[in-house]
Amino acid sequence: QDKIIIKFSHVVAPDTPKGKAAARFEELAEQYTNGAVDVEVYPNSQLYKDKEEMEALQLGAVQMLAPSLAKFGPLGVQDFEVFDLPFIFADYDALRKVTQGEVGRMLLAKLEDKGITGLAYWDNGFKIMSANSPLKSPDDFLGLKMRIQSSKVIEAYMNALGAVPQVMAFSEVYQALQTGVVDGTENPPSNMYTQKMNEVQTHATVSNHGYLGYAVIVNKQFWDGLPEDVRAGLEKAMAEATDYANSIAKDDNDQALAAMKAAGTTEFHDLTPEERAVWVEALTPVHDEMADRIGADTIAAVKGALGM
Amino acid sequence: MLRLLDRLEEILIAALIAVATGLIFLSVTHRFAIGFAADLVAFGRGAEMEALTAFARSLFKSINALKMTWAQEACIYLFVWMAKFGAAYGVRTGIHVGVDILAERLQGRARKTITIIAMSGGIVFTAIITWIGTDFVWHVRNGGQTSPDLEMPMWIIYLAVPLGSALMCFRFIQALHRYLTTGEIAHHDHGAVDGLDDEAEDLAKGGHA
Amino acid sequence: MTAIIIFLILALLLITGMPVSIALGLTVFTFLFTLSDVPMDAIALKLFTGIEKFEIMAIPFFILAGNFLTHGGVARRMIRFASSMVGHWYGGLGLASVLSCALFAAISGSSPATVMAVGSILLPAMVRQGYPAQFGVGTITSSGGLGILIPPSIVMVMYAVATSGMVVQGPNGDPVMSASIGDLFIAGVVPGLILAMMLAGTTTFRAWRNDYPRQPRASFGTRWQAFRESIWGLMLIVIIMGGIYGGIFTPTEAAAVSAVYAFIVAVWVYKDIKLSEVPKVLLSSAAMSAMLLYIITNAVMFAFILTSEQIPQTLSEWIVSLGLGKVGFLLVVNVLLLLIGMVMEPSAIVLIMAPILYPVAMALGVDPVHFGIMLVVNMEIGLCTPPVGLNLYVASSLSRLGLTEVTRATWPWLLTMLTFLMLITYIPEITLFLPRLLGM
Ligand code: NA
Ligand code: NA
Repeated sequence: QDKIIIKFSHVVAPDTPKGKAAARFEELAEQYTNGAVDVEVYPNSQLYKDKEEMEALQLGAVQMLAPSLAKFGPLGVQDFEVFDLPFIFADYDALRKVTQGEVGRMLLAKLEDKGITGLAYWDNGFKIMSANSPLKSPDDFLGLKMRIQSSKVIEAYMNALGAVPQVMAFSEVYQALQTGVVDGTENPPSNMYTQKMNEVQTHATVSNHGYLGYAVIVNKQFWDGLPEDVRAGLEKAMAEATDYANSIAKDDNDQALAAMKAAGTTEFHDLTPEERAVWVEALTPVHDEMADRIGADTIAAVKGALGM
Repeated sequence: MLRLLDRLEEILIAALIAVATGLIFLSVTHRFAIGFAADLVAFGRGAEMEALTAFARSLFKSINALKMTWAQEACIYLFVWMAKFGAAYGVRTGIHVGVDILAERLQGRARKTITIIAMSGGIVFTAIITWIGTDFVWHVRNGGQTSPDLEMPMWIIYLAVPLGSALMCFRFIQALHRYLTTGEIAHHDHGAVDGLDDEAEDLAKGGHA
Repeated sequence: MTAIIIFLILALLLITGMPVSIALGLTVFTFLFTLSDVPMDAIALKLFTGIEKFEIMAIPFFILAGNFLTHGGVARRMIRFASSMVGHWYGGLGLASVLSCALFAAISGSSPATVMAVGSILLPAMVRQGYPAQFGVGTITSSGGLGILIPPSIVMVMYAVATSGMVVQGPNGDPVMSASIGDLFIAGVVPGLILAMMLAGTTTFRAWRNDYPRQPRASFGTRWQAFRESIWGLMLIVIIMGGIYGGIFTPTEAAAVSAVYAFIVAVWVYKDIKLSEVPKVLLSSAAMSAMLLYIITNAVMFAFILTSEQIPQTLSEWIVSLGLGKVGFLLVVNVLLLLIGMVMEPSAIVLIMAPILYPVAMALGVDPVHFGIMLVVNMEIGLCTPPVGLNLYVASSLSRLGLTEVTRATWPWLLTMLTFLMLITYIPEITLFLPRLLGM
């Protein structure tokens, strides 16, 4: 009989953690469903660009995606903006309590109304700040033009730092940093390194102030229409691919950070506990400021799971 | 009635390009002013001039109170609307260029046939776009998506596609009708600048100033 | 096979004379309805999102700026300045035309606009001074090409847009970063100056051989006066390039700023445009931009069909397997683009061909910036080759000479441009020298 085809589209290169994890899922899914499923991975926005893929999924033109969590706000599920809040996850262990727990499932369930079923969370990593001047205290951000991706939460915490957030396409960032149109930006180390931003940023602070992650999602109608055993096989494959994704994402960031330190063009600063306390104090008011947007109950649920 | 539609179309696209330009200019000026105020704060601090620092800080705060992060997104959507309606206007004025070498060489019936085919192509294409565009907008409306920065409903933004295409289709039909009744085709003159004759005269006389 | 069918449909539709954008769109639908299982909705998506990129918005801004500059007396004053500087040499107003085109090219992003701005004044002037119209037409048609080679350039924006985000591999398998608009602008400077000099050389040589008239030598005072009057236009060169590389704005923002600046200069400084005439300028700019954006939208849709049918990838593997090497491949690309350039407009060519040729070029180790400039030079030539060449059309409409006559007149300069194309193709250093010097 005909194979079930899953088109899995994503916007990054095949050799990135997300790209590798997608390839791993392809392999496992075909194995665990005894070849009933054929996963076709389309990397590099080959089919759909960042802005289009969500609609493509809802239309059924592709079946599976791994968009960044920031994409769900514009979709109408602003609860996901909780992941953008500054200093909400102390570390990966804290993060897992949410993404692999009840709250994580509750959040994914909110996508069902949009015709989307959420399967798993994949890490990109924790973000660090970079600029062409030292960034030890929030005061150092005063007046700095910081490139951000579109997000009301990120905009709010950049404002809280006294920085001037600038929304700018990822493809324009390198040149904008090089010429000085913007002064700095925030990225997980791996993104900063692959875009060679360390060449054009003299200072970086390993603040780990925010989290960048993805959710693997499928078209709900497609997913619900799959035979029970196939779905079980795919879920098993996804669980293993998720562990793999998260472990290589962490390695990737660690290696990128080491490589950038070795390159020597950027001076990296680790926050002392005292410095970190000042950052946290400056940025946590954003949690309350954003409560109306994100939903106070969602924030409370996340904080509950974290024991905050 | 038709004259009114023509005018509205013209006013809309001219206004859209003007607003988009003004908006980006404003956002650049705004960013530049912020940078200046921030530098002034730094200078004031460095020179230990407290009055200046305080002034610069309040200047910075008041400029920064105006948020322009949405400007790029707004510019894109203004131009999306301009592009869709401008394309319809372009049919009326004959600005869309094609490869007309064959038609130019043909005579009589053959020429008429090929011209009708070419114009019908425009009608068919824009009609299809109007149809799938409407369907798509309906779908997006149900999905409830908003734009990331302005948080405008996406279906309103995307409405430009079916509306613009419908108008464009109408313009193609108009053009075909005109061709069939009068034999005229709108042609955009790419080399039209008026009122430079005196200048040429003066230069020809060897004048420099 | 699929590739042949797609391009056959496109060719058939194009030959009817329908707009290129419509032909592209109909090709996609014809193919979809009959031969493909790609869902219609997936295509609809591209119609909406195809131009949702801030980089693309540089195009309408540059067109608007160009229109204010042309109608607002900026071109006129630049021409006076150019003719006061070089008009007394062999070539006279012809040489002044080349210099005027180069200067105007530095503030305008389009070639036909450059031909129009300079030609509308200098062509009639040259005829009245006793030059054969053919000489003037040849000079200006070809020098107008500088409009897209000397930054800013709409065609460079198109190339950057068409290739950005494409993740392709170099010869050793490493990913290649696509060329940014800023890189391309800088890279166009040196080739632009060299071509301007070569065209000036051809002009001078022909004028000297035929002993064409020359302008009286302008006094220093006259030159200074002409310079001072044209300073507002010349300043824009500094604003655009200085602003981009000085970190004040991105290329797209630079385009918007130059539009506002040109508006102010035209309306309030030179007062060559009345405020009441501004809506007309806005309208014609909007129409021209909309036409280009419409081509982009449909070209994106067309490119999507090609990609989903794996055509660029297959083609790329095939060409690499032919073992042409870099030298052979670039020659083939040039011949191909010159041929297509005869019948199509630059924007459509770049949008359709760049995604197909770019992966191959990168796989063979061509620098993305160098490849872009090479494409631009090809497009420049295409603008001057019959039967479809906008520069020729503009020159023909300005000079009231027929298209054949204009083409014949342009021939000597066209040969110069072809020689220049070979230089650019096989000496990448000409292109890459300046960007490297600036550490880009
Ligand atoms: Na130019
Ligand atoms: Na041509």
